[in-house]
Amino acid sequence: MSLLALRDVHVRFNTAAGVVRAVSGVSLDLAKGETLGLVGESGCGKSTLGKAIMKLVPVAGGEILVEGVDIAPLDRRQLTDMRRKVQMIFQDPYGSLNPRSTVGRSVAQPMVLAGWTAEATAERVETLLRWVGLPTDAKQRFPHEFSGGQRQRIGIARALALSPKLIICDEPVSALDVSVRAQVINLLEDLKGEFGVSYLFISHDLSVVEHIADRVAVMYLGTLAEVGGRDQIWRSPQHPYTKALLAAAPVANPKLARSRQRTVLQGELPSPLDPPAGCPFHSRCPIAQDRCRAEKPVLRPVGGGALAACHFV
Amino acid sequence: MRRFEFLGRFSRNRGALVGAVLILVVALMALLAPLFFPVDPLRIVGQPELWPGEDPDFPLGTDSLGRDMLSMIVHGARATLLIGLFASAVATLIGVSVGATAGYFGGWIDEIAMRAAELFQTIPNLIFVLTIVVILGSTLTNIVIAIGIVSWTPIARMTRAEFLSLRDREFVQACRAMGMGDLRIIVGEILPNALPPVIVLSSLVVAGAILFESAVSFLGLGDPNVASWGRLVGDGRLLIRSSWYICAIPGVAIMITVLCLNLIGDGLNDALNPKLRDR
Amino acid sequence: MALPLDVRDLSTTLFTRRGEMKAVDGLSLSVGAGETVALVGESGCGKSLSALSIMRLLPDPPARIVGGEVLLNGRDLVVLPEEGMLDIRGQEIGMIFQDPMSSLNPVATVEKQIAEVLMTHTELGRGQARVRAHELLELVGMPDAGRRLDAYPHQLSGGMCQRVVIAMAIACSPSVLIADEPTTALDVTVQAQVLALLKKLQADAGMAMVFITHDLGVVAETADRVVVMYAGRKVEEATVDELFETPLHPYTAGLIGATPVPGAARAERLADIPGMVPPLNALPQGCAFAPRCPRVMARCRQERPKLTQPAPGRLVACFAAERG
Repeated sequence: MSLLALRDVHVRFNTAAGVVRAVSGVSLDLAKGETLGLVGESGCGKSTLGKAIMKLVPVAGGEILVEGVDIAPLDRRQLTDMRRKVQMIFQDPYGSLNPRSTVGRSVAQPMVLAGWTAEATAERVETLLRWVGLPTDAKQRFPHEFSGGQRQRIGIARALALSPKLIICDEPVSALDVSVRAQVINLLEDLKGEFGVSYLFISHDLSVVEHIADRVAVMYLGTLAEVGGRDQIWRSPQHPYTKALLAAAPVANPKLARSRQRTVLQGELPSPLDPPAGCPFHSRCPIAQDRCRAEKPVLRPVGGGALAACHFV
Repeated sequence: MRRFEFLGRFSRNRGALVGAVLILVVALMALLAPLFFPVDPLRIVGQPELWPGEDPDFPLGTDSLGRDMLSMIVHGARATLLIGLFASAVATLIGVSVGATAGYFGGWIDEIAMRAAELFQTIPNLIFVLTIVVILGSTLTNIVIAIGIVSWTPIARMTRAEFLSLRDREFVQACRAMGMGDLRIIVGEILPNALPPVIVLSSLVVAGAILFESAVSFLGLGDPNVASWGRLVGDGRLLIRSSWYICAIPGVAIMITVLCLNLIGDGLNDALNPKLRDR
Repeated sequence: MALPLDVRDLSTTLFTRRGEMKAVDGLSLSVGAGETVALVGESGCGKSLSALSIMRLLPDPPARIVGGEVLLNGRDLVVLPEEGMLDIRGQEIGMIFQDPMSSLNPVATVEKQIAEVLMTHTELGRGQARVRAHELLELVGMPDAGRRLDAYPHQLSGGMCQRVVIAMAIACSPSVLIADEPTTALDVTVQAQVLALLKKLQADAGMAMVFITHDLGVVAETADRVVVMYAGRKVEEATVDELFETPLHPYTAGLIGATPVPGAARAERLADIPGMVPPLNALPQGCAFAPRCPRVMARCRQERPKLTQPAPGRLVACFAAERG
């Protein structure tokens, strides 16, 4: 049984301009101890999907199974058990901590909500701060006294509080400087090694995902374009969008950057308010044909354990 | 440490410091009034219409009935400040509750709350206060509640705006992701962040409430058992041609107090508004 | 012939209540025609303030240029009166900012904003300016350029807005283009488009380009030469190939090690740099990088290393690197 299983998940937002189909029919599995990278460009629905799993946005359809239990129809009280198993790390280290709460209070919140005693909570907070490499006197201080990287560590400590099995990392290093970003990535990997926690790692940065993920899912306009093992995706991407994404990612190696073939993808993401009919990618796809404009491709095995949603691979 | 920082920033604004000191003096005066003037201020103690300085026993003179002006001003400070503070408290309580609920939940709750606020804003405030006082009777409590009811809308709007910008911040989402309930998020997490501008506004509402009460008392609809400054102005209005000081002295007291409260509001704004910090 | 841009020993200080901070400390930077020099560093290293100093667009107070020269085609901009700068900005030196949405006026059409630049600096009339604006939009690869002329910024995507900003920056064919994180706010596929566009425009017009970024991937893709900054100072300068092959300064090496390269063998940890960039008002004595440096020596904590030239065309400010 997978730790997390998504079955045809839909998320819609009603806006003044119409209905935005942020996520339309995503099915994914995440095994215990695995890091699944979820990549895509802004507006592709990757963050919304993460929030849907946390029930931070309403789920319009489908099943979200955490260890086999569908959490989509549960209310806040019934979700307590799931909250213990699944936690989240946010993107903005400056926004994800209450500026008027001490670090100690922020990190202690999960234990307080779970009804721990004061002593047990205080002890746990110290342990957590130590795990993420912060001094224990940090708990009396306020978030503004810390740098972005340290705040992200505080966020990680809070997410770890109740020993979750899965942590949803929503662009956890995008707002950080290069050197600090590496520290946080290494910390996440260390914690995984130590506690066997799984990650759903949401990012737009392909090189970071390539570094940290075991498997990768590529999203485009609310749907999955391709899912596969990390090496498989990087060595032989099947879906034309995955290929384009990889070609567009800058490579921090000038010789490699010059030598590789670059096909710059034309056009921009269509509006999720008005997604193209048929394959969502057909408006930018170099190999699009009439069939793509009419018929929406479904994810299907394309060899090597990978799945791709394209008629022509 | 943060508290000292706050005091430092507040006192950097000279006007606010002067305002705070003067208000403190007025408040002390109000507190210690029975000590200085143990006699009921409404008792006739001397000749009527003594000008200030005319009789050393009554430094601020006497009114048309021969009551000590200084004693009435000092005792009146009590009533005036209390009315201001309580009316502001009522307005803040209503305003924050309505604004927080509207801003946090949004949707139709927000619609209803904001339409209600608009309704209150379209009613002429003074007439509304007078109507309530006339219908329910001129007691201090009724006046305080009436003023509170007409003054809550700006506070509600401000609170709502703060909640709207804070409710989608990631730290609030983090609380939701932990399974925290709405009430706890509103009161424990968002409210402390939304309060600074609300506090500034509340301090200004105190000033507004004092003016309201003065107007009500001036029109003779104030609580007859309370010698607020507004009532003193009202009592003196018939003699304004001959003995104008009877109006002027409590009038100046009101003016200074309201001015000081506004200065304090400005100072609080400087001290609490993080955008202005470290300039 | 003078270089298009030759910055010599430029220093910019922030005068704040907490004291004076040297945000840019003796920066020298020269860019030849058709050359791209990348200015690299983490947030707070002074790279954006350097660009604003060159453009004389510093927020004053608190920032002020306290020394050095900015030679644009041989003319020193630092001593030029503000009126003189008005003619130069947009005409001889163009700038592209990070956030395309906020660098455009939200209530003016695309055509009006481009035409305004043209009419300020050239003799073109309204009609001619419109025609030229259309040409420029086509030049920057705006899809459906004719129709976009009358669009407002909010009707365009981030990538399209950045194209408009680029069109405005190159409208008067400046000899120098300063791009401050021009693709940071954009998606990967759009970033690739904009980088390709900048490269092409530069090659066609022979512009000198200063490219400010924190992303080493973007550096590797675009730059000819790289200047690495740390805490307001230049710590290393080299051609892009040399820099990535043999970084001399431990900070540069740290940055490269901390950037994952797709396709590289995995399993190994990223090389992280411990600690964080020190705030400018609390710089350590000696080398600013010393507290984080893996090769730190006693001397580094007392004395600030000067830039030395270990090989032709290379500069580094590090005692450990001098030793080899």
